[in-house]
Amino acid sequence: MTPDPFTLSHWYAIGRIEDFPNGYKGEHRILSTDIAVSHHGELNVTGPEGSMGVQTRYGHVWTTLSRDPRPLYNMPEFEEEGRRLVTAGAIAVRCSGLRAVENFLDMAHFPFVHTGILGVEEHAEVEKYDVSMEAAGDEIWATKCRFFQPMAAAAAEGGQVIEYRYRVAHPYSTILYKTCPIRDGHWDLIGLFIQPTEEDECIVHSFVLVFDEHNTDTDLLHFQQNIFLQDRMVLENQVPNKLPIDPRWEMPTRADASSIAYRRWLKSHGVTWSTTRFEKVA
Amino acid sequence: MDTDVSQVGWMPVALNNAVQAGSAIRVIAGTDDIALWRGKDGVAHAWENRCPHRGMRLSYGTVCGNRLRCLYHGWIYDGSGTCVAIPAHPDLTPPQTIKVRTYRCVEAGALIWISDGDISAPVIDGHWTPCRSLHIAVAMPDLPEILKWTKVNSVRPLSTYAADVALPDQGRLILAVHPMGSKGAMLHCALPASARRDSLLSASHWLGELRSRIEQAAVV
Repeated sequence: MTPDPFTLSHWYAIGRIEDFPNGYKGEHRILSTDIAVSHHGELNVTGPEGSMGVQTRYGHVWTTLSRDPRPLYNMPEFEEEGRRLVTAGAIAVRCSGLRAVENFLDMAHFPFVHTGILGVEEHAEVEKYDVSMEAAGDEIWATKCRFFQPMAAAAAEGGQVIEYRYRVAHPYSTILYKTCPIRDGHWDLIGLFIQPTEEDECIVHSFVLVFDEHNTDTDLLHFQQNIFLQDRMVLENQVPNKLPIDPRWEMPTRADASSIAYRRWLKSHGVTWSTTRFEKVA
Repeated sequence: MDTDVSQVGWMPVALNNAVQAGSAIRVIAGTDDIALWRGKDGVAHAWENRCPHRGMRLSYGTVCGNRLRCLYHGWIYDGSGTCVAIPAHPDLTPPQTIKVRTYRCVEAGALIWISDGDISAPVIDGHWTPCRSLHIAVAMPDLPEILKWTKVNSVRPLSTYAADVALPDQGRLILAVHPMGSKGAMLHCALPASARRDSLLSASHWLGELRSRIEQAAVV
């Protein structure tokens, strides 16, 4: 199926800047389309209709199939002094990239999927949080999210109630703003840049942008990879693996407020690619 | 062959020892993906392998007593498939509408059978013991076709998918075929409960040979 106009209109990360050194030449894929990337003095991306847009931002190389793409969203935190950027590499997952975003927005699974790290079964309750659509920026924000975590970050010691904010400013990207455990009044960022390769396959590029003076890059990498591999086991076992955005398919509760908003937002933009339509249900 | 479970009456999907009390496994039956689990009370259940909440395969879930808990968010379902607890909302009584689609599930002849029709359940006389299940790469599994590849003294059909067979060298056994759509099929074999270890080993060997003959012929 041809991607819908909204899906086509975005920039997609295809890897970290350092993965494309001078002299690089390789084949990649986005939105069921083969693309060629080369770096000879400057980065070039070529698709079926010739040269494509390319930019480097947030530690990654981005490209688009659109001739008139929407601007890539702003993350001013990338300009702040003292933060460390650690990327956790590219992890291929056999699921819709939209399912991966939705799982990232979900707190209720922490005690069961990330047991003893991001949650414990004795504190499984998800308190009410706020979800807003920011029309001006065309973004979803979930705020006042609070959850008890036994080991919220690599730099955290002991359990604490962590406050979160989630942001979705792109159908295949999401950012978590998390109370910084070692610096009051600051947020640590964790995010996903998803490269949708097929409707039911994606490559997840994840990053952390944190204030952390104690852990090595390797420690941070291992923490993120451990969490993400636990998520992957779920993502590859959701049926259907393409996101069902019709409300009749799956049964949400109040804890799923951000997922409900995300599905509505996709639907309002006419997203069909990488989703399951209701007619297909027996 | 579109072997939708709803069209075929009862289908054997596993030997009875494939799912132990307190555990869950995944089986494919025709084109259906199924969570097969057994409570601490020993009762086997066959459910659509999809949590109604966010689609997680329930075969990854945990059996808690006589209930099944989804791995993803810990939602708990009772033996009828009705959701009885949502940990994210401990004070909430889940609405009765949150219910997993279930199949009828019975045990007979050391096999677990499922159906979602209202045809009466298979009845198999005598006591049987599970012997072996193995995968066979055939596109159109059909029991009479499969039996052409072995010498038989007599065949008494038990259903479309199983027969009580008397073999010259092995004696009596139940042979069942369980189609899995594009994924081939499983062959299941059960022996009379009186069978001793050497008979079980011999029948297991025979089943492996049968598969080899059929698969080799299919390649040619």
